[in-house]
Amino acid sequence: MVRSAIALFHLLVAVPVAGWAQHVPADLARERDEYARWLATAPTSPHAAQALLPVGSGISLGADDADVVLPGVARGNITEKDGALSLERDGTRTPLVRGRLASLGGPYRVLAAGLPGRTVVTVFGAMRDAKTPTYFPYAADAALKVTLAPPAAERIVPLLGPDGTELRAAEAGTVSATWHGQPLRLTVRRLPGRTEDESELQVFFRDRTSARGSYDGGRFVELVPQPDGTFLLDFNRARNPFCAYSSVFPCPAPWPGNTLDAEVTAGERYERKQPTAPGT
Amino acid sequence: MIATLLLAVGVALAGPWRGVLDLAGGSLRFGIELEGRDTSLRGRLCNGSACDPFSAVTARGDSVFFELADFAASIAAVHRGDSLVGVYRNVGNKGPRSIPFRAAVGRWPRSEAPAWLAGRWDAQFEGGFGTSPRVLVFDQGPAGLQGTVIGNAGDYSHFSGEVVRDSVTLHRFDGSFVYMLSARLVGDTLRGIFHAGLRAQTPFSAVRSTGKPHLTPPTEVTKADSAPFAFAFPDLEGRLVRSDDARFRGKVLVVDIFGTWCPTCHEAAPVLAELYRTRHSRGLEMVGLAYEVSGDPAVDGALVRRYRDKFGLAFPLLLAGTNDVDAAAATLPQLQGFTAFPTTLFIGRDGRVRKVHAGFYGPTTGPQHTALVTEFTRTIDALLAEPAP
Repeated sequence: MVRSAIALFHLLVAVPVAGWAQHVPADLARERDEYARWLATAPTSPHAAQALLPVGSGISLGADDADVVLPGVARGNITEKDGALSLERDGTRTPLVRGRLASLGGPYRVLAAGLPGRTVVTVFGAMRDAKTPTYFPYAADAALKVTLAPPAAERIVPLLGPDGTELRAAEAGTVSATWHGQPLRLTVRRLPGRTEDESELQVFFRDRTSARGSYDGGRFVELVPQPDGTFLLDFNRARNPFCAYSSVFPCPAPWPGNTLDAEVTAGERYERKQPTAPGT
Repeated sequence: MIATLLLAVGVALAGPWRGVLDLAGGSLRFGIELEGRDTSLRGRLCNGSACDPFSAVTARGDSVFFELADFAASIAAVHRGDSLVGVYRNVGNKGPRSIPFRAAVGRWPRSEAPAWLAGRWDAQFEGGFGTSPRVLVFDQGPAGLQGTVIGNAGDYSHFSGEVVRDSVTLHRFDGSFVYMLSARLVGDTLRGIFHAGLRAQTPFSAVRSTGKPHLTPPTEVTKADSAPFAFAFPDLEGRLVRSDDARFRGKVLVVDIFGTWCPTCHEAAPVLAELYRTRHSRGLEMVGLAYEVSGDPAVDGALVRRYRDKFGLAFPLLLAGTNDVDAAAATLPQLQGFTAFPTTLFIGRDGRVRKVHAGFYGPTTGPQHTALVTEFTRTIDALLAEPAP
């Protein structure tokens, strides 16, 4: 009898919770699951990053006096010449491919990225505790149908991507909408993707939740093209840049004009670490 | 009990499946052909009549896992009634690359290539980084409408598709590249969208080719300097092979810059194998410079051996580097403007590069492919006819 009562209580309590969870559309829930899985398992997860630094005139890895100290790894040097990268270890020089993970031995791997002549390398090691991203409750009204107005002039701008590496983005125009009675106008840029044909339309924005529930530096949200030529600007899809997960990564500078005088209580949250009292 | 369940799954899975990747802009169609059962399940990924094997297919309980090892990719699905539902995953460095997948039993209906569409179209892709030319090719293949997209770096390999009234859709999914082209005939212009990956969409317009060149000729993309072409890379047994080795001295040499990950290279390989077979005794040498994914000689060596055996390549294949254009270019300092895999170098008996052909037109390009094979053959024969220095 008591068990039945407990079971009934669980059922009554559990059903509304499950019902709320179902408000997140299936495609968004899947994307969030995939992202959490990637953050927890991918060798290039920001939670596995140990160091990120420009190649410049060359960087050393491994030994105690190296730029990046990696216990148990033989000393190596990464250099860049005419845009081509190489890793020299034990007298052997091997090409280091931009965008391709290379093993350094043990749990350590290195990834070169960024523009030729301004290359940065990220060193990855063992995965640290990877916190699952948290999100504001799903807000159906934060999914806005918008039209992309072309830019006044075609222009390529260097900027930092979500992963803190420099890339060349193309000005893609602006999107405008009204949200909670507030007019929104945001700059959109096209970021290069995996192939020439696979670029992304991204918006990097700050709002009144920045540093008050969402990440201080701002969040990225990708425009989703719609069959009728419009785009979905869904703030529920807003994600933190990698610098929100690890201080290894530099933060992208806010995009001019993309600070909203509105509370975008949708998308990824940011839980600030509580300051630790001295002596504790 | 478990064995019985696996047996049931194996039986239910065998046969043709209509696969779909749900992109933001529509459904990318492809085929899956499964045979065998239980632990001997095998499968092929098909774009129309062009099929390539999955590296492994495993079924456990109601789950099915399709592995695409060459691309570090997979499809994980759950068997629901007469359907499969799951996700295609290709691990990325900056985040997950995943696309919803579903499949139902059966084959996609055959669609014919109508007269209004068949042939070549000159297209302009309006990308965010500027306008760039492509050539679209549509024709009738063994499985119905087929086609390809050709850019300055070669073709995008085999697409299959369907026509509904004045609209056409072409699909290409090979485990790595996710492409869909959708267009409608408006007047005498094809207007449409080229979809790549989950969300990227590039508008384009195309008109019937007039016969005038629309793309940069593939022999003008990459240039070589005038010094004898030099290389030194290890073969699959770890022996260093050099351009000044005795076997190349005074011979005509074709250098194939390729990667086992590159579908277009797979289409070039049989042509090179045949040219080598028929002309080696007359003084033709070939060497393949492989630029592979991992940079690990053990991993890359295994992939290149499989490639060599698949196409019966009897000439040396060397592990030259990794598949980044910048890194590859750094190992080939005598080339300027290296942009494409494959790139083929034609070298005379004096050791100097006489022609560089960027990219390769596969059989799907029809007359372009025929013309290219003729050009390769004539170039080699002309070089063979020259006296040794």
